[in-house]
Amino acid sequence: MIDRRGLLKGTGALAGAIAGSVGLTRPSLAQGVDNKVLRFVPQANLANLDPIWGTQYVVRNGSLMIWDMLYGVNERLEPQPQMVESHEASPDFKTWTFRLRPGLKFHDNEPVLAKDAVASINRWMARDATMGVPIKRRLDALEVVDDRTFRFRLNQPYPKMLFALGKSSTPCLFIMPERIATTDPFKQITEIVGSGPMRFRKDEWVPGSRAAFERFAGYVPRAEKASWLAGGKRMMLERVEWHILPDAATASAALQSGEVDWWETPVSDLVPLLRKSPNIAVDIADPLGNIGALRLNHLHPPFNDVRARRAVQWAVSQSDYMQAVVGDDPSLWKEVPGYFTPETPLYTEAGGEPLKGPRNYELAKKLLAEAGYKGEPIVLLVATDLAILKAQGDVTADALKRIGMNVEYAALDWGTVGQRRAKKDPPAQGGWNIFHTWHAGADCVNPAPYIALDSSGDTAWFGWPKSDLVQERIQAWYAAPDLVAEKQAIAALNQAAMDHVVYVPTGFFKGYQAWRKTLTGVVKAPFPIFWDVSKS
Amino acid sequence: MSATSLEPGSFTEAPRLPDVLPPAKERGKVMGFIYRHPTIVIGGTLVGIMVLIAIFAPFLGTKDPTALAPARRTREPSATYWFGTDMLGRDVYSRVLYGSQVSLLVGFSVAAIAAIVGTTLGLVAGFMRGVDAVVMRFMDGLMSIPPILLAIALMALTRASVKNVIIAISIAEFPRVCRLVRGVVLSLREQPYVEAAIASGTRTHVIIWKHILPNPLAPLMVQATFICASAMIAEATLSFIGAGTPPIIPSWGNIMAEGRALWQVKPYIVFFPAIFLSITVLAVNLLGDGLRDALDPRLAKRL
Amino acid sequence: MLAYATRRVLATIPVILIVALFVFSLLYIAPGDPAAIIAGDQATPDDVERIRASLGLDRPFVIRFVDWLWSVLQGDLGNSIFTNLPVSHMISQRIEPTLSLMVLTLTLSLSFAIPMGVIAAWKHGTLIDRFVMLTAVFGFSTPVFVIGYLLAFVFALKLDWLPVQGFTSISHGLLPFLRNLILPAVALGLVYMALIARITRATMLDVLSQDYVRTAKAKGVGQRGILFLHALKNAAVPIVTIVGIGFAALIGGAVVTESVFAIPGLGRLTVDAILRRDYPVIQGVVLLFSCVYVVVNLIVDLLYTLFDPRIRY
Repeated sequence: MIDRRGLLKGTGALAGAIAGSVGLTRPSLAQGVDNKVLRFVPQANLANLDPIWGTQYVVRNGSLMIWDMLYGVNERLEPQPQMVESHEASPDFKTWTFRLRPGLKFHDNEPVLAKDAVASINRWMARDATMGVPIKRRLDALEVVDDRTFRFRLNQPYPKMLFALGKSSTPCLFIMPERIATTDPFKQITEIVGSGPMRFRKDEWVPGSRAAFERFAGYVPRAEKASWLAGGKRMMLERVEWHILPDAATASAALQSGEVDWWETPVSDLVPLLRKSPNIAVDIADPLGNIGALRLNHLHPPFNDVRARRAVQWAVSQSDYMQAVVGDDPSLWKEVPGYFTPETPLYTEAGGEPLKGPRNYELAKKLLAEAGYKGEPIVLLVATDLAILKAQGDVTADALKRIGMNVEYAALDWGTVGQRRAKKDPPAQGGWNIFHTWHAGADCVNPAPYIALDSSGDTAWFGWPKSDLVQERIQAWYAAPDLVAEKQAIAALNQAAMDHVVYVPTGFFKGYQAWRKTLTGVVKAPFPIFWDVSKS
Repeated sequence: MSATSLEPGSFTEAPRLPDVLPPAKERGKVMGFIYRHPTIVIGGTLVGIMVLIAIFAPFLGTKDPTALAPARRTREPSATYWFGTDMLGRDVYSRVLYGSQVSLLVGFSVAAIAAIVGTTLGLVAGFMRGVDAVVMRFMDGLMSIPPILLAIALMALTRASVKNVIIAISIAEFPRVCRLVRGVVLSLREQPYVEAAIASGTRTHVIIWKHILPNPLAPLMVQATFICASAMIAEATLSFIGAGTPPIIPSWGNIMAEGRALWQVKPYIVFFPAIFLSITVLAVNLLGDGLRDALDPRLAKRL
Repeated sequence: MLAYATRRVLATIPVILIVALFVFSLLYIAPGDPAAIIAGDQATPDDVERIRASLGLDRPFVIRFVDWLWSVLQGDLGNSIFTNLPVSHMISQRIEPTLSLMVLTLTLSLSFAIPMGVIAAWKHGTLIDRFVMLTAVFGFSTPVFVIGYLLAFVFALKLDWLPVQGFTSISHGLLPFLRNLILPAVALGLVYMALIARITRATMLDVLSQDYVRTAKAKGVGQRGILFLHALKNAAVPIVTIVGIGFAALIGGAVVTESVFAIPGLGRLTVDAILRRDYPVIQGVVLLFSCVYVVVNLIVDLLYTLFDPRIRY
């Protein structure tokens, strides 16, 4: 007969046993020597690690440590050879031959061979809409010449090949072993074998909470100085741990108390607090910043009429958007009456009058009336779980109300927005009229990686703008022989895109990053760079 | 008249006893009530004040709670903005006052819906044996899923709206009411007067209405107040997680959720709605406590 | 006793099946589409369709339910749509923090609440009683995250006594384990403490007003101590009931606490999965929680018979 005392004792023992056994099966996190371990708080959860299959920025950022690329862009976005030792391009830009560096190894100590590169390129081409797919369309053959050489044979010229191979916009061309790279591009890879300076510790990965990377001793960095994705990726740290802290207040407190070393995206309102701490450094994260986007649905009324779209241009205030997104620091944002990244060679304001200067609500209302808008509900998709998108959504709702539009504010999460924006149905039947997003400045310097500018109609990005003039002008830029011609082409393109209102840019903004002063070597870039960073 | 006269026709005054006991305090009816049931009074008054605030919000010096002005964002409380402004420049005072409308609406609606649905189901289950087994299994199943998870999951199925929040939380709360009422019904069924009523041919719905229903009313009322309080907290939790009322309609929960990232530097955005929410929930709980103590002290054991 | 226990255990099976059906159908009707999220920001609508098909999200309901149930019974909870890791693996990684938090919270709450309730009952009607009850009511009137932020601010940030966030397994030492968990346990436990204190007081009052207790009191001081223990034993039934019911509330509070203190537990896993519509994870975790809850209730029911042999169903 079990008596009460016995039962309580037994329960205690059982509980202890469970705790103990769980402790045994739980992966023990290696406690490295403290100054060789970097604890980093990323911008979002690292939910998966297949940078071709899932194109979130955070996946790309993690992948940059694990895999290496054939080329890599430097600070001026010029592609530099990384895994490639030399290349040859035919004068007509139709034949490209590449030779890999000797001594490159994967994390399983197998050598990196041309066939691995070819398989990785094939997988990437299937998913990269901006450059990979166009290359694939022109491709006659992608062949392995010998162990370290491979060749593209195109039936049409593609002068921007090097940029395509080395670009930082997702998906990047990461080189994986052939057996992994032959995975269907629409399925996740199950094995993670890298070619880069850090090995991923999959056994320690707790999705939503923590990820760990360990230095791979067999990686041979290039001799040159590192500059973004170019040059030698020398790791000074033994271990990098990613701690996922979605609660900004917790992340801020953790940085202040020294429990983490580097916070990728501190909320700008918390920056003054962080600056007060003598142990914390705060600086602009990426000089190329980001461009916010108000994306209109060109398929359905009222925004299928260019006048209604222009009404939005005249009604929205970029300063409202930007202050809502980044806060009170004016050095963090700029108005951008155009589509291209400020402070880059191709920046232009041609055609940007509707976004400059004081707002003109009367003109907007007049344009709306001309377009035949009679008060139908405007479905505005707002992802309330991402602060930047929620802020933009709130400002848009307010602005549209001022010009008499009937806004239906759909408060959703980013996942649902992602699903709904893909629907071409009328807004009242599960479609949409407006959603928000933003584009990294690095992806908006010119039309090559700029998926959001494409105006081919049905095959364009969500919103499906259609303008033959814009497409012509994009091609004109591709054909431009030098920088002067490029600038002219871009100005003309900007004008056309503004007139057609491909989408409405909501402003240019930069973010901060914050790190403890025990770290040296933290640089400004569109993505966190872990090589050349050391900790005292 | 002599006090000791014994002639017929004369009556004796009762002897005046010395004052052994102190005179009982004379309390008026209202004061007496307050003295005996302080929790009901305090709770009820506070709830009443909140309801008045909710009803008269537009007249209490508030501005449009959704009017944003990013140029004026995150201003400290001052003479112009009594509770300061939030990260979009909206007036926190106005939002908090208008927020009371939503939070109270959620609380009261959930309590009412859970009570009505739960009672109906409980009566049905208690009375009809066949249905009982099925219904109670279903209730057990529902109750096995932690209420917050159930509410979040339900919210994930639908658009964010006040109505959906109310429905989601009600679904999470009504099984307990059902169980309570069913328990009462089951114990009453065996009572002689009920059996007599059935035997004498009284219609079922009359039996329910006259004999059965009055009994669980007291614990039901008390339970309803606790559900109200827990629903208001649930709404705040749902908003905190991001699955609550849509941000365009201010509620105490989502004002706090929006302000939580800034709470170290601009604590007032979280502080003011938190105070209002806590006071209201406290008041409702006190009211419930007081009702329970007043109606039936024996209930204290069961609740 | 054994027969009763067996019957009781068997009775839980239909309940769990209903939960399973419920959980599964809930998400089947869900409008969110994980395929679109996976496809990413730069995907075309065609990409999205292909991913949907490859995940098997377009098969009919019954087939998917039976399929899933069969796999679950074999211990296979499927793979997460987002991380591609087995759901059982993800759950096992996160059980320890949540379990630790719950156990610590329960221990703390019970240790404080029961004495509180007893004292309040003993000093019934006095200021102490009122004070204890008022504190208890405060306990469940403030949202958990507000208390959590306050505690973190005062004890972790300002006073620097405790860490702000994180979790250390007990296998790394008792002190680091406690240091990480004490603030979340207190934040979470306040609600629980309040409930238990109230129920303890109420039950104690009830028992203490019984005739035999009054007689003993009238007889003299010496009997009091023994009688309090006796009263407590009788109060055990409702207390244990509340512990069982409150468990569900604990899980709800744990979700918020894990978020504020960045504890890598099941609560956060579930919320993230629900908001992202990671179906296999949601199904696995909610099923797990429900089973745990059913087991807890089972234990509570069995404990009843221990404390009060009169109770038999």
